[in-house]
Amino acid sequence: MSNIVIDKTKCKACYLCIKECPKGLIKVSKDTNSLGNNVVEFADAKNECLGCAMCAQRCPDLAIIEVNKG
Amino acid sequence: MTTQVFKIPDSFKKDVRYTFCPGCDHGVAVRLVAEVLDELGLTQNTICAASIGCSVTIYDFLNIDTIESPHGRAMAVATGVKRAKPDKFVFTYQGDGDFASIGLAESMHAALRGEKISAICINNTTYGMTGGQLGPTTILGQVTTTSPTGRNLEYYGYPIKIAEHIALCDGTAFSARVSLDTVANIKKAKQAIKKAFEVQMKGLGLGFVEILSSCPTNWKMSPDKAHQRVREEMMPVFNLGIYKDVTQS
Repeated sequence: MSNIVIDKTKCKACYLCIKECPKGLIKVSKDTNSLGNNVVEFADAKNECLGCAMCAQRCPDLAIIEVNKG
Repeated sequence: MTTQVFKIPDSFKKDVRYTFCPGCDHGVAVRLVAEVLDELGLTQNTICAASIGCSVTIYDFLNIDTIESPHGRAMAVATGVKRAKPDKFVFTYQGDGDFASIGLAESMHAALRGEKISAICINNTTYGMTGGQLGPTTILGQVTTTSPTGRNLEYYGYPIKIAEHIALCDGTAFSARVSLDTVANIKKAKQAIKKAFEVQMKGLGLGFVEILSSCPTNWKMSPDKAHQRVREEMMPVFNLGIYKDVTQS
Protein backbone atom coordinates (compact mmCIF):
# COMPACT_ATOMS: atom_id res chain seq x y z
CA MET A 1 0.00 0.00 0.00
CA SER A 2 1.56 3.28 -1.15
CA ASN A 3 1.27 6.54 0.73
CA ILE A 4 2.74 10.01 1.19
CA VAL A 5 3.58 11.96 4.37
CA ILE A 6 2.86 15.69 4.41
CA ASP A 7 4.55 18.11 6.84
CA LYS A 8 1.73 20.62 7.06
CA THR A 9 3.90 23.20 8.80
CA LYS A 10 5.83 23.63 5.53
CA CYS A 11 2.87 23.89 3.12
CA LYS A 12 2.51 27.33 1.53
CA ALA A 13 -0.74 26.51 -0.27
CA CYS A 14 0.56 26.76 -3.85
CA TYR A 15 -1.49 23.62 -4.58
CA LEU A 16 0.81 22.46 -7.39
CA CYS A 17 0.71 18.94 -5.90
CA ILE A 18 -3.07 18.75 -6.31
CA LYS A 19 -2.81 19.10 -10.07
CA GLU A 20 0.12 16.70 -10.26
CA CYS A 21 -1.50 13.70 -8.54
CA PRO A 22 -2.75 11.31 -11.27
CA LYS A 23 -5.35 9.87 -8.90
CA GLY A 24 -6.63 13.13 -7.42
CA LEU A 25 -5.83 12.06 -3.86
CA ILE A 26 -4.58 15.44 -2.58
CA LYS A 27 -7.10 18.07 -1.60
CA VAL A 28 -7.28 21.45 0.11
CA SER A 29 -7.91 20.96 3.82
CA LYS A 30 -9.92 23.15 6.18
CA ASP A 31 -6.89 23.11 8.50
CA THR A 32 -4.52 26.05 8.58
CA ASN A 33 -0.90 26.12 9.69
CA SER A 34 1.12 28.79 11.48
CA LEU A 35 1.52 30.63 8.17
CA GLY A 36 -2.25 30.93 7.93
CA ASN A 37 -2.38 28.73 4.86
CA ASN A 38 -5.11 26.26 4.11
CA VAL A 39 -2.81 23.28 3.83
CA VAL A 40 -3.27 20.22 1.64
CA GLU A 41 -4.28 16.79 2.88
CA PHE A 42 -3.90 13.27 1.51
CA ALA A 43 -7.02 11.12 1.46
CA ASP A 44 -6.75 7.62 0.01
CA ALA A 45 -9.66 5.54 1.31
CA LYS A 46 -9.47 3.11 -1.64
CA ASN A 47 -5.67 2.62 -1.56
CA GLU A 48 -5.27 4.16 -4.98
CA CYS A 49 -1.93 5.90 -4.40
CA LEU A 50 0.61 4.73 -6.97
CA GLY A 51 3.67 5.87 -5.02
CA CYS A 52 4.77 7.72 -8.15
CA ALA A 53 6.15 10.66 -6.09
CA MET A 54 5.03 13.18 -8.73
CA CYS A 55 3.58 15.30 -5.91
CA ALA A 56 6.84 15.29 -3.95
CA GLN A 57 8.89 16.06 -7.05
CA ARG A 58 6.62 19.03 -7.79
CA CYS A 59 6.28 20.44 -4.27
CA PRO A 60 8.52 23.53 -4.11
CA ASP A 61 8.53 23.58 -0.32
CA LEU A 62 9.58 20.02 0.52
CA ALA A 63 6.30 19.74 2.42
CA ILE A 64 5.79 16.21 1.11
CA ILE A 65 8.56 14.67 3.15
CA GLU A 66 8.12 11.02 2.36
CA VAL A 67 6.68 8.79 -0.36
CA ASN A 68 6.39 5.05 0.21
CA LYS A 69 5.59 2.66 -2.59
CA GLY A 70 4.05 -0.69 -1.80
CA MET B 1 6.80 -4.81 1.19
CA THR B 2 7.01 -1.02 1.08
CA THR B 3 9.88 0.90 -0.45
CA GLN B 4 10.67 4.51 0.34
CA VAL B 5 10.92 6.27 -3.04
CA PHE B 6 11.21 9.86 -1.79
CA LYS B 7 12.64 11.43 1.36
CA ILE B 8 14.20 14.67 2.53
CA PRO B 9 17.83 14.60 1.31
CA ASP B 10 20.46 14.08 4.02
CA SER B 11 22.21 17.25 2.81
CA PHE B 12 19.09 19.23 3.72
CA LYS B 13 18.91 20.68 7.24
CA LYS B 14 16.36 19.10 9.54
CA ASP B 15 13.26 21.02 10.55
CA VAL B 16 13.83 24.10 8.40
CA ARG B 17 11.17 25.69 6.24
CA TYR B 18 11.93 27.43 2.98
CA THR B 19 11.56 31.20 3.04
CA PHE B 20 10.85 31.39 -0.70
CA CYS B 21 7.47 32.66 -1.91
CA PRO B 22 4.67 30.12 -2.49
CA GLY B 23 5.21 28.21 -5.73
CA CYS B 24 8.78 29.46 -6.26
CA ASP B 25 10.96 26.98 -8.14
CA HIS B 26 14.03 27.84 -6.05
CA GLY B 27 12.78 25.26 -3.57
CA VAL B 28 12.89 22.51 -6.19
CA ALA B 29 16.34 23.59 -7.42
CA VAL B 30 17.85 23.60 -3.91
CA ARG B 31 16.34 20.18 -3.24
CA LEU B 32 17.87 18.81 -6.47
CA VAL B 33 21.28 20.19 -5.46
CA ALA B 34 20.91 18.47 -2.06
CA GLU B 35 19.95 15.16 -3.70
CA VAL B 36 22.95 15.30 -6.04
CA LEU B 37 25.30 16.12 -3.15
CA ASP B 38 23.89 13.06 -1.35
CA GLU B 39 24.26 10.78 -4.36
CA LEU B 40 27.85 11.85 -5.10
CA GLY B 41 28.84 11.68 -1.41
CA LEU B 42 29.96 15.32 -1.41
CA THR B 43 28.10 16.78 1.56
CA GLN B 44 31.01 16.74 4.01
CA ASN B 45 33.53 18.01 1.45
CA THR B 46 31.59 20.87 -0.16
CA ILE B 47 31.93 24.64 0.02
CA CYS B 48 29.25 26.80 -1.62
CA ALA B 49 29.92 30.37 -2.70
CA ALA B 50 26.61 32.12 -2.07
CA SER B 51 25.27 35.01 -4.08
CA ILE B 52 23.03 38.01 -3.50
CA GLY B 53 19.32 37.74 -4.24
CA CYS B 54 16.73 35.10 -3.42
CA SER B 55 19.35 32.43 -4.20
CA VAL B 56 21.50 33.54 -1.25
CA THR B 57 19.26 31.74 1.22
CA ILE B 58 20.63 28.36 0.11
CA TYR B 59 22.93 28.55 3.15
CA ASP B 60 19.90 28.41 5.44
CA PHE B 61 18.82 25.07 4.03
CA LEU B 62 21.83 22.84 3.30
CA ASN B 63 24.23 21.07 5.65
CA ILE B 64 27.32 22.39 3.89
CA ASP B 65 29.90 25.11 4.44
CA THR B 66 29.04 28.34 2.67
CA ILE B 67 30.91 31.57 2.09
CA GLU B 68 29.08 34.79 1.20
CA SER B 69 30.18 36.76 -1.87
CA PRO B 70 29.76 40.39 -2.86
CA HIS B 71 26.95 40.87 -5.36
CA GLY B 72 27.75 39.00 -8.57
CA ARG B 73 31.17 37.82 -7.45
CA ALA B 74 30.36 34.26 -6.41
CA MET B 75 32.41 32.81 -9.28
CA ALA B 76 35.43 34.87 -8.21
CA VAL B 77 35.04 33.78 -4.60
CA ALA B 78 34.58 30.16 -5.69
CA THR B 79 37.76 30.46 -7.76
CA GLY B 80 39.71 31.55 -4.69
CA VAL B 81 38.25 28.81 -2.51
CA LYS B 82 38.97 26.10 -5.08
CA ARG B 83 42.53 27.26 -5.70
CA ALA B 84 43.24 27.44 -1.96
CA LYS B 85 41.57 24.10 -1.27
CA PRO B 86 41.67 22.08 -4.50
CA ASP B 87 40.51 18.92 -2.72
CA LYS B 88 37.18 20.54 -1.86
CA PHE B 89 34.07 20.43 -4.04
CA VAL B 90 33.10 24.04 -4.76
CA PHE B 91 29.96 25.38 -6.39
CA THR B 92 28.00 28.61 -6.73
CA TYR B 93 24.22 29.00 -6.62
CA GLN B 94 23.16 32.29 -8.21
CA GLY B 95 20.30 34.09 -9.91
CA ASP B 96 20.47 35.49 -13.43
CA GLY B 97 20.95 39.08 -12.27
CA ASP B 98 23.80 38.06 -10.01
CA PHE B 99 25.47 35.70 -12.50
CA ALA B 100 24.87 37.45 -15.81
CA SER B 101 24.58 41.16 -15.12
CA ILE B 102 26.39 42.31 -12.00
CA GLY B 103 28.76 39.35 -12.10
CA LEU B 104 28.99 38.74 -15.85
CA ALA B 105 32.72 39.54 -16.02
CA GLU B 106 33.53 37.24 -13.11
CA SER B 107 31.34 34.47 -14.52
CA MET B 108 32.73 34.63 -18.07
CA HIS B 109 36.33 34.83 -16.98
CA ALA B 110 35.95 31.91 -14.58
CA ALA B 111 34.70 29.92 -17.57
CA LEU B 112 37.50 31.20 -19.81
CA ARG B 113 40.08 30.25 -17.19
CA GLY B 114 38.54 26.80 -16.94
CA GLU B 115 38.15 26.98 -13.20
CA LYS B 116 37.37 23.55 -11.82
CA ILE B 117 34.18 24.64 -10.10
CA SER B 118 30.46 24.21 -10.75
CA ALA B 119 27.81 26.90 -11.11
CA ILE B 120 24.02 26.82 -10.93
CA CYS B 121 22.18 29.86 -12.31
CA ILE B 122 18.45 30.32 -11.74
CA ASN B 123 16.93 32.24 -14.67
CA ASN B 124 13.53 33.72 -13.82
CA THR B 125 13.87 36.74 -16.14
CA THR B 126 13.73 39.26 -13.30
CA TYR B 127 15.34 40.51 -10.11
CA GLY B 128 13.14 38.64 -7.65
CA MET B 129 14.25 39.74 -4.20
CA THR B 130 14.22 43.46 -4.92
CA GLY B 131 10.77 43.57 -6.44
CA GLY B 132 10.79 42.38 -10.03
CA GLN B 133 12.99 44.80 -11.94
CA LEU B 134 14.23 44.29 -15.51
CA GLY B 135 17.22 41.97 -15.52
CA PRO B 136 19.70 40.70 -18.12
CA THR B 137 17.42 37.82 -19.09
CA THR B 138 14.13 39.75 -19.20
CA ILE B 139 12.61 38.81 -22.54
CA LEU B 140 11.48 41.31 -25.15
CA GLY B 141 8.07 42.73 -24.33
CA GLN B 142 8.13 41.53 -20.72
CA VAL B 143 6.61 43.97 -18.26
CA THR B 144 8.65 44.56 -15.09
CA THR B 145 8.60 47.28 -12.46
CA THR B 146 11.34 49.14 -14.37
CA SER B 147 9.98 48.39 -17.85
CA PRO B 148 6.27 49.08 -17.31
CA THR B 149 5.52 49.07 -21.03
CA GLY B 150 7.57 45.94 -21.66
CA ARG B 151 11.23 45.38 -22.55
CA ASN B 152 11.91 47.56 -25.55
CA LEU B 153 14.57 46.36 -27.99
CA GLU B 154 15.81 49.80 -29.03
CA TYR B 155 16.15 50.98 -25.44
CA TYR B 156 17.26 47.84 -23.55
CA GLY B 157 18.62 45.50 -26.22
CA TYR B 158 18.34 41.72 -26.19
CA PRO B 159 18.29 39.30 -23.23
CA ILE B 160 21.47 37.28 -22.69
CA LYS B 161 21.48 33.56 -23.44
CA ILE B 162 23.75 32.46 -20.63
CA ALA B 163 24.17 28.74 -21.30
CA GLU B 164 25.21 29.39 -24.91
CA HIS B 165 27.75 32.04 -23.90
CA ILE B 166 29.29 29.87 -21.19
CA ALA B 167 29.47 26.96 -23.65
CA LEU B 168 31.56 29.10 -26.03
CA CYS B 169 34.29 29.51 -23.40
CA ASP B 170 37.11 27.03 -23.96
CA GLY B 171 37.46 26.34 -20.23
CA THR B 172 33.88 25.11 -19.92
CA ALA B 173 33.47 21.35 -19.63
CA PHE B 174 29.68 21.23 -19.39
CA SER B 175 26.95 23.78 -20.08
CA ALA B 176 23.23 23.10 -20.23
CA ARG B 177 19.87 24.81 -19.91
CA VAL B 178 17.07 22.96 -18.15
CA SER B 179 13.64 23.81 -16.76
CA LEU B 180 11.52 23.03 -13.71
CA ASP B 181 8.10 23.49 -15.31
CA THR B 182 7.17 19.79 -15.31
CA VAL B 183 8.18 16.75 -13.29
CA ALA B 184 9.83 15.26 -16.41
CA ASN B 185 11.94 18.39 -16.79
CA ILE B 186 12.73 18.41 -13.05
CA LYS B 187 14.25 14.95 -13.48
CA LYS B 188 16.29 16.13 -16.47
CA ALA B 189 17.44 19.14 -14.45
CA LYS B 190 18.77 16.84 -11.76
CA GLN B 191 20.75 14.86 -14.36
CA ALA B 192 22.28 18.10 -15.65
CA ILE B 193 23.25 19.26 -12.15
CA LYS B 194 24.86 15.89 -11.53
CA LYS B 195 26.85 16.18 -14.75
CA ALA B 196 27.96 19.72 -13.89
CA PHE B 197 29.20 18.43 -10.53
CA GLU B 198 30.91 15.36 -12.02
CA VAL B 199 33.03 17.33 -14.51
CA GLN B 200 34.49 19.28 -11.58
CA MET B 201 35.20 16.03 -9.72
CA LYS B 202 37.03 14.75 -12.81
CA GLY B 203 39.01 18.01 -13.08
CA LEU B 204 37.73 18.71 -16.61
CA GLY B 205 36.78 22.36 -16.16
CA LEU B 206 33.72 24.44 -15.36
CA GLY B 207 30.36 22.72 -15.01
CA PHE B 208 27.41 25.03 -15.59
CA VAL B 209 23.62 24.67 -15.50
CA GLU B 210 21.10 27.43 -16.25
CA ILE B 211 17.70 26.57 -14.78
CA LEU B 212 14.55 28.20 -16.16
CA SER B 213 12.46 28.95 -13.11
CA SER B 214 9.18 30.62 -12.29
CA CYS B 215 8.71 33.71 -10.10
CA PRO B 216 4.95 33.76 -9.44
CA THR B 217 5.12 36.72 -7.05
CA ASN B 218 6.86 39.17 -9.36
CA TRP B 219 5.19 37.84 -12.47
CA LYS B 220 1.89 38.34 -10.63
CA MET B 221 0.63 34.89 -11.64
CA SER B 222 -0.53 31.71 -9.92
CA PRO B 223 2.24 29.09 -9.59
CA ASP B 224 0.56 26.96 -12.26
CA LYS B 225 0.21 29.88 -14.71
CA ALA B 226 3.83 30.78 -14.04
CA HIS B 227 4.95 27.33 -15.22
CA GLN B 228 2.81 27.82 -18.30
CA ARG B 229 4.66 31.08 -18.94
CA VAL B 230 8.00 29.27 -18.64
CA ARG B 231 6.85 26.91 -21.41
CA GLU B 232 5.12 29.38 -23.69
CA GLU B 233 7.22 32.54 -23.36
CA MET B 234 10.63 31.57 -21.99
CA MET B 235 11.42 28.32 -23.75
CA PRO B 236 11.05 29.75 -27.29
CA VAL B 237 13.73 32.30 -26.34
CA PHE B 238 15.83 30.15 -24.03
CA ASN B 239 15.94 26.75 -25.75
CA LEU B 240 16.52 23.78 -23.48
CA GLY B 241 19.48 21.54 -24.16
CA ILE B 242 23.07 20.59 -23.53
CA TYR B 243 25.29 23.15 -25.22
CA LYS B 244 28.64 21.63 -24.31
CA ASP B 245 29.73 18.34 -22.80
CA VAL B 246 33.40 17.48 -23.20
CA THR B 247 32.76 13.95 -21.94
CA GLN B 248 30.72 13.28 -25.09
CA SER B 249 33.22 14.63 -27.62
